[in-house]
Amino acid sequence: MNGLRFRGSPGSLVFLLAWLALFSTGCARHDPHTIDGAENVLHLFNWNNYIAPETIARFETFCNCELSQDYYSDNEEMLAKLAAGAAGYDLIVPTGNAMDALIRQGALKPLDKSLLPNLENINPAYLDTAFDPGNKYSVPYAYTLTLLGFNEEKIRELGLPVDTWAIIFEPKYLEKIRGRVTVLDSQRELMAAALKYLGYSINDVDENHWKEAADLIVRAKPYWAAFSNTSYVKELAVGNLWVAHGYSNDMFQAALDAKKTGRKFMIGYSTPKEGAVLALDSMVLHRSGNRPHLAHQFINFMLDGKNSAELTNLIGSGNPNMAAMQYVRPEIAGNEAIFPDPELLTRLEMLRDLDRKQRRLLSRLWTEIKLR
Amino acid sequence: MIKEGAKDARLARFLVGGPPLLFLLIFFVAPSLIMILTSFRFPGEFGGLAPVTPEDTAAGEYGLTPEAYQFFFSDILYAEIFLKSFVIASTTTLICLIMAYPLAMLIARSKKRFRNLMVLLVVLPFASNFLIRIYAWMIILGPESGLSHFINAILGVFGIAPVTLLFSPFAVLVGMVYVHLPFMVLPLYTNLEKHDPSLLDAAQDLGANSWQRFWSVTWPLSLPGVFSGSALVFIPVLGMFAVPEILGGTGDILIGNLIKDQFLGTRDWPFGSVLSIMLTLAVLSVAGLATWFSRFAAGQRA
Repeated sequence: MNGLRFRGSPGSLVFLLAWLALFSTGCARHDPHTIDGAENVLHLFNWNNYIAPETIARFETFCNCELSQDYYSDNEEMLAKLAAGAAGYDLIVPTGNAMDALIRQGALKPLDKSLLPNLENINPAYLDTAFDPGNKYSVPYAYTLTLLGFNEEKIRELGLPVDTWAIIFEPKYLEKIRGRVTVLDSQRELMAAALKYLGYSINDVDENHWKEAADLIVRAKPYWAAFSNTSYVKELAVGNLWVAHGYSNDMFQAALDAKKTGRKFMIGYSTPKEGAVLALDSMVLHRSGNRPHLAHQFINFMLDGKNSAELTNLIGSGNPNMAAMQYVRPEIAGNEAIFPDPELLTRLEMLRDLDRKQRRLLSRLWTEIKLR
Repeated sequence: MIKEGAKDARLARFLVGGPPLLFLLIFFVAPSLIMILTSFRFPGEFGGLAPVTPEDTAAGEYGLTPEAYQFFFSDILYAEIFLKSFVIASTTTLICLIMAYPLAMLIARSKKRFRNLMVLLVVLPFASNFLIRIYAWMIILGPESGLSHFINAILGVFGIAPVTLLFSPFAVLVGMVYVHLPFMVLPLYTNLEKHDPSLLDAAQDLGANSWQRFWSVTWPLSLPGVFSGSALVFIPVLGMFAVPEILGGTGDILIGNLIKDQFLGTRDWPFGSVLSIMLTLAVLSVAGLATWFSRFAAGQRA
């Protein structure tokens, strides 16, 4: 590696470079291994911004303990960290398919329902899912829908439909909004939208149907600005984007931002009539946690209507808690994109996990989509 | 006495060579071995690796398989991504070199008391987080930005349709060059700073014009700096995934993105390892090539 050496350079420069390299390679993380089990601390492995600060404060007073959180921004990240040996978490809040993986892995502790009297607040429609029959391990926390967010003024001006996936897949609509659309940078989510649009289930694993969906995506791709998982929130809110495929709570945020900054347009969002992905996040107990009693206390606390409603009021998440509805702000409670009517609810599906062969195949299809 | 001297020399050699060797063993050889082993295993259902038990994997006695390699070589797709990443990395390196050379020369030929300040200015951007600086480029290149309006106004004069800067290969290149430019400037500067100015005077006395002075004196002498800088830019760009993810459009996928995807979205560690091994091999051959070139250049000069 002679080519890499700075011949005769002052040592300080080498040091400087090492320092730069350190700076440019990201961040050190707090390691849950080092946690002292004796402290009165509940360790929660949670999504970013997925509990209201006032709820935390109230819980800490209630339990006379401390709530410590580590964050993830997607399920795969959470699973990867656990697979790499992260431990010490009492509670995790995974989405259905990730929870399914955790259950089959034997990574979760069963719940003691006698400690959860507030469980009766949960709408039965969200209980007893295919991932956890009889809710042996999980209690629903909140949900999001994957839907379409849009700039209401522009859409009205251009006369485009917003109740169908066609707007992100059909060239006849797309040519009016070329370069002003983003879709999620997620293999499963984008394929789900395409499969739904083609009339298949989001959990269809037929290779021919996948190819059909991939062709649909490749045809529409030239019209999209980018694949985006996070930046679409801001870009919608400042008016750079007119249509975005994304999550309901992100659209809620974008609409709020546009309103707060006094933009001349409003951000709307709606669930396509073909159906969409419903992502139900549940509270589960991880095996590595050493405060199961405290964790049950927390779950029961979060099942209380008022505490549960605070999250919905904060981030616009869907709420499976019936007792919470009276505390949810009316403009959110009345929003059909967050609380779908029962008829639409039947066309929402939860993503199931794929096996390793299917994952590898989908990954190749995805790489092809990106490269073409 | 003589014997003791030899012993001292051995000790000195050990002290000088030992730590770097140990460093390489711990931080390069060991991880590479782990990666090679991983690449022959089956992916676990939940990330990680499948257990090494036959009934689970339906494979040989040790649960080893070359299937990840077969998958890699079964489709031209992955070669295309490597090629594309190499093109981006080479372009970035070239642009960095063209931009960094005059700057490094300027710094090296300034008065001594300004030099440290100027070097400090070159590295100052590193004081803020890398991702924040990339996000700042999203604003600069965004469709409503001053730069976009300015460029499109000029294009409009010539009747050319407006362009979008953000979410394009151009934006990826801008981000890559921006992030890696200091890594080119610094080694170039340390090299250029050492040049003896009397060489240029001598060349001038012998009738060389300014271009000849640069091309036959400064440039050949600076080649080691050029190679160091190029390696420092080329190699990180090859593995970069954040810049294309944030600034890139629908087609800007590089090998780094693909590898990251194998460990997160697809939960396919063996295939991710295969891709990483291929990348390491590619990087090593580039580093080897750079070393050879720089020796060759040094040999030519001597």
